[in-house]
Amino acid sequence: MVLENQDNRNLWEKIGDFFSANSIWMKWYCTGCGAIELPPTMTSRFDMERLGMGPMATPRQADVLLITGYLSSKTLRRVIYSYEQMQDPKYIVAFGSCTINGGIYYDSYATINQLDKYIPVDLYIAGCMPRPEGIMNAFADLITMIKKGQANGWRHYQENYEWYKQNQLDSLKEVIIHDEFHE
Amino acid sequence: MMNSMNNIIKQIDDVLTITNSEIITNRQFAIDINSGDVHQSLAYLKSIGFTQLSILTCIDLIANNEFQLIYILNNWELGLFVIVRTIIPRDNPAFVTIINIFPGAKYYEREVHEFFGVTFEGNDSYSKPLLLEIWDDIPPLRKDFDPQVYSDSKFPKRDLDKIYRSKIGGVD
Ligand code: SF4
Repeated sequence: MVLENQDNRNLWEKIGDFFSANSIWMKWYCTGCGAIELPPTMTSRFDMERLGMGPMATPRQADVLLITGYLSSKTLRRVIYSYEQMQDPKYIVAFGSCTINGGIYYDSYATINQLDKYIPVDLYIAGCMPRPEGIMNAFADLITMIKKGQANGWRHYQENYEWYKQNQLDSLKEVIIHDEFHE
Repeated sequence: MMNSMNNIIKQIDDVLTITNSEIITNRQFAIDINSGDVHQSLAYLKSIGFTQLSILTCIDLIANNEFQLIYILNNWELGLFVIVRTIIPRDNPAFVTIINIFPGAKYYEREVHEFFGVTFEGNDSYSKPLLLEIWDDIPPLRKDFDPQVYSDSKFPKRDLDKIYRSKIGGVD
């Protein structure tokens, strides 16, 4: 996947990107081990609020979705569901080697191997698990990317919706969530 | 501790038909029981204080063409665990539910059915999926299931130019 890099935003989009880069609300989906690195990143030691980032309770009000580790096919259905609820513009940051190539779960019957086949990932953080320094660094990069208009994953998802849907169906058979507690 | 455990084992041995018993740690012992005796044994163990079913699980003994069902019970008064083991055939594995003795076994039986394919007569919901969704292959924790083949067929892999492997003890 190659994301569009040249800048053809109009003035209003530039202004919009400038402001959204400076106030980012995150929603994280604590699927894997990685969630444990977020508390130190958020609290006083690393204090991500100095970058203007804060936690948000629901996907509908969030700008960034953090996927913190491996995803089973079951959780991937929930992730897609949450991602599609978010308002544009929206960004995805994927943590750890599990989201890149399956990591130590490369041969598991339950976990996917490459996250960007199913949803558009703007930024990967390598590591198993990335340390808070790595996460802060990635957030700083994400802010720069948004300001320059390079975090275009959400547009890529709209334009290549069929391709993403086909990949999702190939691996998951059904993206709709059925479970006994909600039916 | 050891003494009270030996007493308990002796007490159990007097009442139940045990084919084998084994001390595992100073708080854990295992007994092997014929599959026909499992229900009365569990009911008896519950009556002498082993009131909590900690887990019900299964082991695939593929070389003998058998499954081993494992019930671990906990006695809170004495701090003791007993592991009750029994063997059932691997072809068309079927057993009878224990939800009349330990109602919580409902979910463990669903799990064992999902991962090993053992059916539990008397538990209405044993065949409902518990952890997996839309599963379409043989139960995944059986030894003849190959997770790599399944993963390759379902989940696309990233093309990497070079794969680095670490050598542990001289093997890849
Ligand atoms: S990359 Fe490592 S730390 Fe992250 S989810 Fe996978 S195994 Fe866990």
